[in-house]
Amino acid sequence: MDYDIAVIGGGLVGSSIAYGLSKKGHGVALLDEGDRAFRASRGNFGLIWVQGKGWDFPAYAKWTDEAAGLWPAFDAELQESTGVDLGYTRPGGMEFCFDERGWNDLNDCMARVRTNSDGAFEYEMLEHAELRKRIPEVSSAVIGASYSPRDGHVNPLYLLRALHQRLDAGRVDYLPNRHVDSIECLHGGFELRTNDERLAAGRVVLCAGIDNVRLGKLLGLNIPVRPNRGQLLITERVQHFLNYPTLQVRQTREGSLQIGDSQEDAGRDDGTTTEVMNRLASRAVSIFPMLKTVHVVRAWAALRVMTPDGKPVYQQSSHCQGAFGIACHSGVTLAAIHAGPVADWVAGGNPHPLIARFHPDRFDV
Amino acid sequence: MKARYSLVVVGAGPAGMAAARCAAAHGVDVALLDEQERPGGQIYRSVDDSPLSDPSLLGSDYLYGRQHVAEFRNADIDYFPGTTVWNLDRNRDVSVLVDGKSRGLGADRIVIATGAQERPMPVPGWQLPGVMTAGAGQILLKSAAIVPPDDVVLAGSGPLLLLMASQYLKAGVGIQAILDTTPRSNRPGAVRHLIGALESASYLAKGMGLIASIRQSRVPVYKEVTALNAHGDEVLEAVRFNSRGRDHELPTGTLMLHIGVIPQVHLAMAADCEVRWDEAQLCWRPGLDQWLCSTVPGIGIAGDGAGIVGARASQLQGRLAGLQCVYELGALTRDQRDLKAVAIRKTLDKHLAIRPFLDSMYRPSPEFLTPVDDTMVCRCEEVSAGEIREIARLGCQGPNQAKAFSRCGMGPCQGRQCGSTVAALIAEVQGRKISDVGYYRVRPPVKPITLGQMGNS
Repeated sequence: MDYDIAVIGGGLVGSSIAYGLSKKGHGVALLDEGDRAFRASRGNFGLIWVQGKGWDFPAYAKWTDEAAGLWPAFDAELQESTGVDLGYTRPGGMEFCFDERGWNDLNDCMARVRTNSDGAFEYEMLEHAELRKRIPEVSSAVIGASYSPRDGHVNPLYLLRALHQRLDAGRVDYLPNRHVDSIECLHGGFELRTNDERLAAGRVVLCAGIDNVRLGKLLGLNIPVRPNRGQLLITERVQHFLNYPTLQVRQTREGSLQIGDSQEDAGRDDGTTTEVMNRLASRAVSIFPMLKTVHVVRAWAALRVMTPDGKPVYQQSSHCQGAFGIACHSGVTLAAIHAGPVADWVAGGNPHPLIARFHPDRFDV
Repeated sequence: MKARYSLVVVGAGPAGMAAARCAAAHGVDVALLDEQERPGGQIYRSVDDSPLSDPSLLGSDYLYGRQHVAEFRNADIDYFPGTTVWNLDRNRDVSVLVDGKSRGLGADRIVIATGAQERPMPVPGWQLPGVMTAGAGQILLKSAAIVPPDDVVLAGSGPLLLLMASQYLKAGVGIQAILDTTPRSNRPGAVRHLIGALESASYLAKGMGLIASIRQSRVPVYKEVTALNAHGDEVLEAVRFNSRGRDHELPTGTLMLHIGVIPQVHLAMAADCEVRWDEAQLCWRPGLDQWLCSTVPGIGIAGDGAGIVGARASQLQGRLAGLQCVYELGALTRDQRDLKAVAIRKTLDKHLAIRPFLDSMYRPSPEFLTPVDDTMVCRCEEVSAGEIREIARLGCQGPNQAKAFSRCGMGPCQGRQCGSTVAALIAEVQGRKISDVGYYRVRPPVKPITLGQMGNS
C-alpha cells in the first residue's frame, strides 16, 4: 500500500482533512487538479459564519457553532507551525437589511437558530441608530442588521496556503495536476488511476467539490451536488473603517473590500456577468456611499458546491469499506471541524454524534 | 454612441485605425473605441498635434502616422476617443467607461487592436522612484515634450531603446550612459536569420543608422551588461552593474529600463480568447487563424496585440482583419476578400521578414525573465521572486494558485507587470515548460473603474 489514506481534492475541505490526518501520523496522499480547475476555495468570501445557519436544520446549527468554536485553537496552531498570519478575528458579524420585510425575516431566522442550537447561539437585532454607533459610515438605506458575536473572518487564501505549507512539513504527499480517472475498490484498499500513474491507498476520501458527483459514481456513492455560481468584487485598499465582517461587504486586513455575493445557477460557467457586477457595485455604494470613488480591482466568480438543502454531506460507503464522500460550501467555517472530528472519523475513529445527520439519505425521503 | 454596431474596433493605433477604415470603406457601420484623446496609438501619439517645436526629431516613421491619422479622421467611422473598454465578454458585449459613466454596447464583430505593452524588466530596486520604463519616457516626450535630466541612464536591449536614445540625443538630452544588456550569446542565432531579414532591408538600414548616431554622440555604451540593479534608500541614487566582467556604479537620479515589448492580451483573455506561449518572442499571444480570427467566434485580433510585428505590419494586419469582418458581415464574397488580400499579404510578408532576426538578436537575458530572489516581482503587492520560488517548491500548480497564496498579481495592474515572471519562476523551480505552467485567469475590469461607475450610482 502506497498510502494509508488518499484524499482527492486539494481545496479547503481536502486540505483541512489531510492536515488533520497528518497530525495523527497517517500516511496521506493529497491529489489535486491543475491551476485552472474549478476552485471554490479561491472564490471564498472568508467568513466564519454561524448566524442564520441551521434555522431549518438543528444539527447544522450545532455543527456550525461547534466548528466556529474550534477556530481560535486551529488558527493559533496553524500560525505557530507555519508563520502564516491568517488574519483571523472574531469581532462578530452582521447581515444588513434594507426593508421591514427583510428585518422580520432575519429576526425570525435568528430566533429559530437560537432554538435549534438549544440556546447556544447568541445574537442581537440592531436598529439603524444602534447599528450606526458601531458602523458610523452606514447609510440610511440600511434600516438595521442582525449581529452575532459567534461570527468571524479570515483570509481564506492564506488559510489554504498555510494548510499546504503545513502538509509539506508533515507526512503528506501533495500531488498536483492529477486527474483521477478511476478508483477501484479492492480487498482492503483502493487503487486510483490518474493521468499516468497508479496509486494504492487503504482508504479514500472524496473532497473534489462538484467533481464528487463523477468520483462518487466510481465508488457507488451518490453525492448529490451541483454548482452554484457566486460572483464578488474586490476593491483597492482603503483606510480601515469596517470592524465587522458582514454578509454583504468585508474589509480584509490588507484594507481591500470584498463585495458579495450572488447566487446563480449557471452550470459550469464560472465567468462574471456585467449585470451582477453592476448590482453588487450599486448595493455596496448604497450601504456605504463613500465607496463610490473606490476602484474595483477585479471581479471574481467561483462555483459553490451546493447540496440539495445547502447543508453538508458526510457519508461512508456501506459496500466499499473505507470510502468516504464529503461535500459542502463552507470550507472556511468548517475547516477546524474537518481537521478534527471529521479527519478522525475517516481514519477509522468513532464518528462525531452529529455526522450521521448529514448522510445524503435525507434527500431520499 | 449606438447600442449596437456591426463592428466595434478597440484601439486607435495603426491596426485599429486600418481595420475600421477598411470596414467603413465597404459600408460597414463601425465604432472605434479608444482610451486616448487623439488617434494614433502609442506609436503615433500626438502625431497631428505635437507639442514639440520640431516633431521630426522623432523620426520619419513617426511622421508617417500623420497621413494615416488624417485618413482615419476623414473616414465614415463613429470614433469615440476618451473611451475606456473595461470589459469584453465572449458574447461580444462591450462595457465602456465614457465621461465617468459606464455603459454597454453590442457588436456583431469585434477587432481587438490594443497593441503592445513593455515587457516588464524586473531588477532589484526597479520599484524605486526615479526608475521608469523607456516607453513611459517616450510618451512624455511625444505628448508633453518632456525630457529627462542630463544624468539619465538607459538600460536594456532592443530597437526601441536605440530609437529612444537617438530621439533624446536629437532633443539635446545629455545621456550619461547606455547599458546594453543584449547577451553576446544571442548573436550566432540572430546571424542565421540575417539573410531572411534582407527582405526588409530598410529596417536593417534604420537600425544601423540608430547605432551609428549613438556611436557618433560619444555617449558611453556598456556592453553585455549583467547583474543590473537600481540602488537607493528612498529614491534611486545609483545604478550598479557588471559589464564584460567588470563591476560599475553610476550615480544617477533617473534610470530608464526597456527590454522590448509584448502583446497586451488582457482584453482578449477577458473575452476567453485562447492564448499560446510563443517561445520565439517569449510571450503569450492569442491563437489566431490566417484571417486573424481568435478562438472566440466573431472576435479578431490585429497588430502588436496579436504578436509583436511593428507599426507598418500592424496596419496591414488591421486591413486583413477588417476585410475578414466585411466578408463575414456579407459585404464581400469570399473571392473578393481573397483577391483584395493578396497584395496586402505580400507587403506584410516583407515587413515580417525582419522579425526572426530581431526576436533572436534582442531575446531578453534570462536574468530578467527569472530574476534573483530579492527582486520585487509584483510591485503592487510587494511580492519577491524568492517568495514565488518558495511557493513553487510547495508544489503550487501555476500562477493562479501562486496568486492566491501570495497576493502576487492581485493589485491594480492586474498582473500585467508580474504575470510572465511568475510563470517563468514556477517553470524554473519545477522544471516545467512555461507553456505548461500557464498564465493568470484574467477577470474584469481590465481597466480601472470605480464602484460608483460600475454600479452607475
